[in-house]
Amino acid sequence: MGPPVDDEPSARFEAVYRETYGRLTAYAARRCDSPQDAADVVAEVYTVAWRRVDDLPEGDEAVLWLYGVARNVVANHRRGEVRRQARTAELDAELADLYAASPESGVELSAIGEAFRSLSDDDRELLSLVAWEGLEREEIATALGLSRNAVRIRLYRARRRFSRALAEAGVPLTSHGRLAPLGRSL
Amino acid sequence: MKDVEAMFGPLARVEPGAPGGRPSDAGARALLASITAEPPGGGAAVPTRARRRGPRRLVLGLAAAAVAAAGIVVGPGLLDNGTLTTPSYAVTKDSHGVVWVKVRDFRDVAGLTKQLRDLGVPAIVDYAPPGQKCREPRATYVEDIPQGLYDPPTNIPGEKNSWQMRIDTRLFKPGQTFVWTLTAWPDGGSTTSTILMEDPVKPCVLVPDDRMRSAPPEIVAYRLATEKGRSLAGYRVDEKTVGEVVPEIEKRGLKVTYAIIEPNPRNLGGFAIDPHKQDIPVGKDWTVWEAQESTRKSRLIRLLVTKEHLDWNPVYDGGSRDNVIKE
Repeated sequence: MGPPVDDEPSARFEAVYRETYGRLTAYAARRCDSPQDAADVVAEVYTVAWRRVDDLPEGDEAVLWLYGVARNVVANHRRGEVRRQARTAELDAELADLYAASPESGVELSAIGEAFRSLSDDDRELLSLVAWEGLEREEIATALGLSRNAVRIRLYRARRRFSRALAEAGVPLTSHGRLAPLGRSL
Repeated sequence: MKDVEAMFGPLARVEPGAPGGRPSDAGARALLASITAEPPGGGAAVPTRARRRGPRRLVLGLAAAAVAAAGIVVGPGLLDNGTLTTPSYAVTKDSHGVVWVKVRDFRDVAGLTKQLRDLGVPAIVDYAPPGQKCREPRATYVEDIPQGLYDPPTNIPGEKNSWQMRIDTRLFKPGQTFVWTLTAWPDGGSTTSTILMEDPVKPCVLVPDDRMRSAPPEIVAYRLATEKGRSLAGYRVDEKTVGEVVPEIEKRGLKVTYAIIEPNPRNLGGFAIDPHKQDIPVGKDWTVWEAQESTRKSRLIRLLVTKEHLDWNPVYDGGSRDNVIKE
């Protein structure tokens, strides 16, 4: 006899939770200014996922689906639409560890940061999914519910706008468009 | 140009490719346990965000009030100029211990607090000027709010810039305080936050509030268009189809744009506009619930639409424009 049918959603959810937690907390920490906000976001994303456990895809797509939820949760959070979640002081403290080192040090990097922050939320999210979460175009399309072509075009435009913002911020681009980051080892 | 991402990769707080938290940590395990303690699918309907209510309700649904410990209600003052009416508030209590509060002037918080306390509501009411909020946390939030303790604030039918809410004084536990913060915006809108807290609650210390800073103006800069003196005066669009009203509007030399709205459940009323879900092409058979005019661009009309036809109008209290706007 297998496990009771009622246990299945919870076993599946727990497996996804364990599998994706590291990436989701990294996602939230990269986008939220405080560990408390990040904890709220993580808690809300998984709460939504549990509520919609029947929609939660299996395997590699699960994390993409969660990124899609997280994108909306972060946007709502930025608009001040905060819901108190089941987060605890422990969770806050664990995420606070991720905030220990300041990511922006060095004049060049802060100029890049400024250019980056001057972009729209949509542009930043697309570029971040590539640079921070390391997603391929097709994965972004899945996460954001867009066509691959839409992702390609939006990404192209976002990169162009970022380059322009960099130029305005006076950040020198090398011939390959790369900049050796200062103040932080890769 | 593809390598532009390489430039801001180092800005990431958690390095690209590195995981954030560990699922085996105590906080992570506690979160998992608390989430899965509820039945999947969610026992109670928990709206995922504060809901924007329609034109005449200068209140966003504090939809989560009964289930979540905190919520923010925002009335962006889409339509009307903010002239405050008197009296500033009224508090009444029925024989079952249920208190009705009507607030018309959001600034007289001392008087309101006293009247609430006289009627047995353990409440603190604070006024935070626009752009400021009370510093959090002021106290521990009560996580387990009894169903029916209070209803989200709603507008008072037929009145502008006013709210009423229902509080059941019998359901307070000793040591709990209902903390209400009000903000009146220069455009006539108003914001409230209602949070049930455990005593002791610290006094309100005003700090800058950047929560609304990112509210995109292209979402909120609209007001009712079908009212007397406005660009669509005399032409009703509510509950008609897009295919029906667009030619009529264009005939008047106006441009049309759309806001796809997400109605709240009927009993809650109101709707949300999610700026990230506006890419879907609007069909001619979609339903129009109201028309708004832009306050930034002349001759631009925005139709509030849904794909589904509902049997109530989510934009208006009571599910119908006639309930709210008398002509």
